[in-house]
Amino acid sequence: MPFLSLQNVHKDFGGVAAVDGVDLGLAAGELRALVGPNGCGKSTVFNLISGSLRATAGRITLDGTELGGQAPHRIARLGVGRKFQVPSVFGDLTVAENLDLAGAAGDRWGSGARPQSHLADRVHLADKTGDLASVLSHGQRQWLEIGMVLAARPRLMLLDEPTAGMTAFETAATVDLIRTMAGENGATILVIEHDTGFLERLDCPVTVMAKGKILATGTYQEIHNDPQVRALYFGNRSDA
Amino acid sequence: MIEAFPIFLDALSFVLILVLVASGLVIVFGMMGIINLAHGELFLLGAYTVVVAQGFGAPFWLAAALAPIVVGVAGLAIEFLLVRFVVHRPLDTILATWGLSIVIKQLVVLAFGPGSHSVAVPIDGAFSVGEFSYPAYRIVLMIVATAVIAGAGYVLVGTRFGLLARAVIARPGTSASLGINTGRVTQVSFAIGAALAGLAGALVAPLISVDPQMGLGFLVPAFLAILVGGAGSMTGLVAGGGLVGGLDSVLGGWISPVLAQITVFVLAILVIRLRPGGLFPGRGRRP
Repeated sequence: MPFLSLQNVHKDFGGVAAVDGVDLGLAAGELRALVGPNGCGKSTVFNLISGSLRATAGRITLDGTELGGQAPHRIARLGVGRKFQVPSVFGDLTVAENLDLAGAAGDRWGSGARPQSHLADRVHLADKTGDLASVLSHGQRQWLEIGMVLAARPRLMLLDEPTAGMTAFETAATVDLIRTMAGENGATILVIEHDTGFLERLDCPVTVMAKGKILATGTYQEIHNDPQVRALYFGNRSDA
Repeated sequence: MIEAFPIFLDALSFVLILVLVASGLVIVFGMMGIINLAHGELFLLGAYTVVVAQGFGAPFWLAAALAPIVVGVAGLAIEFLLVRFVVHRPLDTILATWGLSIVIKQLVVLAFGPGSHSVAVPIDGAFSVGEFSYPAYRIVLMIVATAVIAGAGYVLVGTRFGLLARAVIARPGTSASLGINTGRVTQVSFAIGAALAGLAGALVAPLISVDPQMGLGFLVPAFLAILVGGAGSMTGLVAGGGLVGGLDSVLGGWISPVLAQITVFVLAILVIRLRPGGLFPGRGRRP
């Protein structure tokens, strides 16, 4: 069985099928992109894996452990780290405190926090460790949140639009960061992204969703040249 | 100068008692955003814990140490049985906790009668410096209150639990995805807030008449102090408590209690109008 496995997963919102029979499998250590038009159910899939939402039907397992029905904090402790679509850092805490919190939050309370400040270097925030997260730029907050995911040392990382709102330079640096993350400790990464430039650079298998279903899976080139996908997703973009 | 000193000490002692009572509320209301109208009754339960414990022959300080434990456990139960079901709907929270306050008051009336009880002052005598003297227990209470307020502030800002609590309050979703058991943290925070109210009730019991209505008289100025000071931090609470309690006490002693109340309310309205976040805004729940 794949490391992360979704089998015939459904999620209805008052009769509307946001996720409609999704099968998805990621091997351990795999880097995979999940793309699709707005409202196609990508973020809902993330919410179902991380436990923010409960699936209407279907099975979700991580390394054979059933995730369905578990509380979000339990799923996080099983090794699922998540970066939200909107940066969700703690604005009242410094960069170092945000990282420390993320590194220690999964432990039972009472045990000491392990300093995670060295991670600031990885996410290009080494000179900002003492700054409050609220004063960071948008791109820097995205990086901090990726750093917070890393700090928890998860086995599966869910990254929801990690480069949204980033400059071209920041996007390139983020691609490099994600590629390095994928190579170390055998972490499995599922990343949602719209930016076609990002997807091309990331150079990993891509799964396309539309209207709650999986439409296709393949390399970036295969997906890019798939007429069905082009019509639905790339076709309405001038840069594709 | 010598004449002004007792007024100053009275004001200081009133401010510290007010801040002590409100310190539990600053966690529950200021930081967690739970409008707990039964906070005054948690204060009441603390005072009655002392009455009961002393009835069994326990010395005052043992009874006072017992009060936060008893009321903290009551807080856990209240959070588990009531508050967690209504916490996301503020209006329901107000109604539910108001109802709870009535239930607690009536249970106390059933168990102890509507009359007032008195708790003997544990430390007799007075501190005297020259011709000036002041009741010794009030001095001790001021010291204990200062220590408890500082301790509560340290727990919130300086400890790992405080960090988790502030994280959960600021961003529940992110906190859960980091592996924090948000439900548990909320429950414990609420219990700590309740325990502080219970401790305040126990410590203040020797100075006031312990009766089923005692909670309300402290609930209103406590909410006022938090709103004026800025919800969500101990610094704000000390500032708000200082302004509300200090003015009330000083003006009440010099001029008249009614004029003092009017002044306090007018000032509170002005502060909240001009600085909606209070004197020390920041931290706490985002809008």
